[in-house]
Amino acid sequence: MNTPLIGTTTGRPSRPRRGLRLWPVVGALAAYTLFAGHKVGFDASTFWNVWSNPLWEKFWPIPWDWVLDRHNVLDPLVETLQIAVVSTLIGCTLALPLAFAMSPLTSPNRVTLVVSRSAMNVVRAVPDLFWAKLLVTAVGVGAFAGSWALSVFSLGVMVKLFSETIDGADPRPLEAARAAGGRHGPVVRTGVLPTVLPEYVAYGLYVFELNIRASVVLGLVGAGGIGRVVEAQRQYFRFDRVLGVLVLVFVVVFVIEQVSVAIRRRLV
Amino acid sequence: MIRFDDVSVTYRGGVQALRNVDLRVDDGEFVVVVGLSGAGKSTLLRALNGLVPATSGSITIDGTEVVGAGAAELRVIRSRIGMIFQTFNLVHRTSVLNNVLMGRLSAVPAWRSTLGLWPSTEREAALQALERVGIVEKAYVRASNLSGGQQQRVGIARALAQEPAVMLADEPVAALDPVTSRQVMGDLQRINREMGITTLVNLHFLDLAREFGSRLVGLRDGEVVFDGDISDVTDVTFQEIYGRAITDDDLLAVDAEPAG
Repeated sequence: MNTPLIGTTTGRPSRPRRGLRLWPVVGALAAYTLFAGHKVGFDASTFWNVWSNPLWEKFWPIPWDWVLDRHNVLDPLVETLQIAVVSTLIGCTLALPLAFAMSPLTSPNRVTLVVSRSAMNVVRAVPDLFWAKLLVTAVGVGAFAGSWALSVFSLGVMVKLFSETIDGADPRPLEAARAAGGRHGPVVRTGVLPTVLPEYVAYGLYVFELNIRASVVLGLVGAGGIGRVVEAQRQYFRFDRVLGVLVLVFVVVFVIEQVSVAIRRRLV
Repeated sequence: MIRFDDVSVTYRGGVQALRNVDLRVDDGEFVVVVGLSGAGKSTLLRALNGLVPATSGSITIDGTEVVGAGAAELRVIRSRIGMIFQTFNLVHRTSVLNNVLMGRLSAVPAWRSTLGLWPSTEREAALQALERVGIVEKAYVRASNLSGGQQQRVGIARALAQEPAVMLADEPVAALDPVTSRQVMGDLQRINREMGITTLVNLHFLDLAREFGSRLVGLRDGEVVFDGDISDVTDVTFQEIYGRAITDDDLLAVDAEPAG
């Protein structure tokens, strides 16, 4: 037993010194920001001058007749949604078995673990815009290239999120299933899947949200959907139309995200 | 019959959990294993169904060798051994019935259990297992909505669904209150008597061991230091197994009427 040292301070530990001090770090970051800004020609006055550019007048008024015409905007917008749905479904379906292969808890063996992890690291290292460019070159301009690129993108995001959820799953039901004499696949299916399924669906919805936004951007490089319309009108300097399209896209994305967030909140 | 012949288990990192264990358990016996935590009780049970591989020696169940068995052989061995866990080890986010169906994994093709297409005969077996422990009315309730005692009963039903010849219970009541502990121990005793399932139970409450066991095995530092009839066991025996005086912490000590 320790003797209590009431009235003395000899028993107290000395205050530990942290490795990094806060203020020197903040100071160093601030100094480097100023230096780097100077190097790239950063000029704060640009923030004000840019508004006097006549470009901005071209954004107004929004030509709603043109924007709400089916062929101009709505059809490509539906195409964008279709790209997002198809690629989310393909990507997330492929991600389900792959994520289980990528988690040490559920991988059937070490070789599968290492190979699947390495392959997915490579897939994720390539940006979605580059996948789109690559596939547009390979299979031609259009929604097919976009769907393909976004499927790969969905797969990369999904396996990352979902396999980390599997890593954190309770291993004890797995032991019980193993003790009952099950094969590896059924053991994982019955012992872990029910635990992580709500997260899987929630991540699927999140990936769908990402895909809607991404499929707008992918259209800019020729991968179909509403992005193609934005790019075309920008080239004609019809910024009023561009703004109208963006407003419409914003409304659609906002509504879908709200619904998705509400569903996800109930799931997890 | 279960035979341990000169079984040792050394974990990676060098900890020796079992040392030269020799043990015979006849069919239908109810054996209580006691010892301090770290004495090797869990390892003893897990060596028997191969969850922990024995480093040396031989373990046989009705003549079938466990040590060095291949994956397919192990699955057959495990299918005949039910296991009950201290923390119940249920899947919380699914129904009680689905949890009990895990006990039927070895009886159906992989594609069926993977797709969740359990044959009606398997569902029937799972429901009967739930009836045996008296909570069939909870079959379609989520496992997380059950109390601790109910969860352990589901754990027992899952093991029973295997129609096992041997039942292993690793500290089955350590997470339960005294009254529920007695009920669960009573369930295990009843199952042992009615169905003739050989049962090995790890316990650390000595009064529970005395109340429900018929044979006591004492482990200390991975060695069997006592093996005998429970009626021969005195406080001195427990002191020798534990290597220290017995305190109130070693007793469940509740004034409930003995179950059974």
